Amino acid sequence: MKTYLGIDVGSISTKFVLIDEENRILSVSYFRTEGNPIEAIKKGLKELESHNSKHNPDIEIVGVGTTGSARYLAGVITGADLIKNEISAHAKGVIHSFPEARTVIEIGGQDSKVIILENSVVVDFAMNLICAAGTGSFLDAQAFRMGVPIEQFGEIALKSKSPTVVSSRCTVFCESDMIHKQQIGHSREDIIAGLCQGLARNFLNNVAKGKNIKPPIVFLGGVSENLGMRKAFADVLGEKVIVPEHNTVMGALGAALLVKKNPAGKTKIRGF
Amino acid sequence: MEKPIITFARWGNYTVAFKTLFEQLGLEVIPPEKTTSQVIAEGARMAPEMFCFPMKVTLGNYLPALKKGANTIFMVQNVGGSCRQRYYGVIQEKVLKENGHQINFLDFRATPKDIYRTIKEVSGASFWQILKAALFFFKKLRLIEKIEKTAQYCRPRELEKGATDRLLSDFFSKLEKINKEKDFSNFKKDALRKLKGIKIEKKADLPKVGLIGEIYTVCDPTINFEVERKLGLERIEVHREMDITYHLKKIIFPWKDWVIQRKINPYLRSTVGGHGRDAIYEILHYIKEDFDGIIHLLPMACMPEITVRPILEKIHQESGIPFLSLSLDEQVAEAGIDTRLEAFIDVVKGYYQNKKS
Repeated sequence: MKTYLGIDVGSISTKFVLIDEENRILSVSYFRTEGNPIEAIKKGLKELESHNSKHNPDIEIVGVGTTGSARYLAGVITGADLIKNEISAHAKGVIHSFPEARTVIEIGGQDSKVIILENSVVVDFAMNLICAAGTGSFLDAQAFRMGVPIEQFGEIALKSKSPTVVSSRCTVFCESDMIHKQQIGHSREDIIAGLCQGLARNFLNNVAKGKNIKPPIVFLGGVSENLGMRKAFADVLGEKVIVPEHNTVMGALGAALLVKKNPAGKTKIRGF
Repeated sequence: MEKPIITFARWGNYTVAFKTLFEQLGLEVIPPEKTTSQVIAEGARMAPEMFCFPMKVTLGNYLPALKKGANTIFMVQNVGGSCRQRYYGVIQEKVLKENGHQINFLDFRATPKDIYRTIKEVSGASFWQILKAALFFFKKLRLIEKIEKTAQYCRPRELEKGATDRLLSDFFSKLEKINKEKDFSNFKKDALRKLKGIKIEKKADLPKVGLIGEIYTVCDPTINFEVERKLGLERIEVHREMDITYHLKKIIFPWKDWVIQRKINPYLRSTVGGHGRDAIYEILHYIKEDFDGIIHLLPMACMPEITVRPILEKIHQESGIPFLSLSLDEQVAEAGIDTRLEAFIDVVKGYYQNKKS
């Protein structure tokens, strides 16, 4: 069976998606890059190989596409047939799995972006330039500081009845404001919910400033797993925010779809 | 007074022409250092943090030349109309002197009278000599601009990747050494012939992108991470109106500003300094010419360009033309710019395909 592999190596996490000729997803893996992209890619490939030999021994990978901030490195290591920037890759993934989408909000480990689609074509995009407030690593750091596992962060935020207003223009001041609010006795739920809202506001004011945001709005990336952030975006935008299936691996899916669309004749992949 | 050894503000490929100008006047010249990340870091370390990026870069460019013995700096005021560029000279002089450089800083206004007086004073050259040098300077400048324009056309069409850029770097290094009228005309003939000789796909119909924004950032490839070259290699034809001739024409024919103002009246009804109005005029012009994308370049915190950016965004949303605004300074990483450029190239190509079908 002919298959196509998409690899998305980001700052915080690495994603692998394998699809077949009919665009069906055969396997998905998601793990932390841990500051060592080469090891992460090796690990992902090994996992994929053992998964394949157990479940689908007749699989043949005929194309590899890489994306994410380490796309060139990943491309060299795996012998990729296509190296694509993460904006086009995410757009491709969304257009395939949710063609009606008009706006894509993607927040990853260290960057956040907004993509505007019209008739399944990217017409506009923006990425955070100067500020990392609201991205995964900042939420990670705050969860750690407050002693909350990041996986439960969202659920706790949802419990809040009146979110605290947290200053969110700058991560450092945001943190000091949170500490201050803790010290004057705001509850943990309220502060966490307030933080989520602050970050959603920050995103809309900095990254999505001046962009034409129209529903349906799709929310992707590691941060889209966070229930609190989903609610915060829905509240701030006043629109339903849709989190589709494969929300965290959309870039890798897009890369796989793109390499399938532009086959390279003979693949350059180096194997496992 | 000791013998003046000149250095000056570096400006992309045009630096070569400025160097010749001073040499023709019989002055000793040590050209400013090429812009590298180290030069930028040195300049930024010395300059006030919140000041415009070009001021930091040109300051960094002087430093190695000063080390090599230059003692006189030329800096022109008012390049872009009323913006902070006027204060570059004053601040650079102050900063350099505070850092222990014994220099003679010639900060003059961009009026023929002031330029003539400053040059006369430092070189002692006769009127005819100055006129001759100026004419030679303009000849060189025109050729550089012509080479740049031809390259913008050839690069996306070349059959052998990199052929245009190899010729270009060869030209600019040769052109720097040419000091005689006769050598120059030979070189010009040869260069234009060689450029014509680049094998290109003549019939290729390619997407076109217009480069607009602040004049220094737009013109200097070492500052803007070679946007022109990168787009060209992705088979996109780049156009840019902004160059020294454009600016000089505006000084000589002041009614050009009036024409521009009339065209942009629905969007902006006054000057905002620098080339702010020109950016709006250019985007409207490129849309009329059926371009497939606009890249707006500005140095971080450039007041005129920041003022017009929301207007450009609005025009982009009204017309649907792909638009990317990049703000550059010493903190910006090339990887981030590249990601945005790559995505923008995909958007431009999608827009172009859509339009054709």
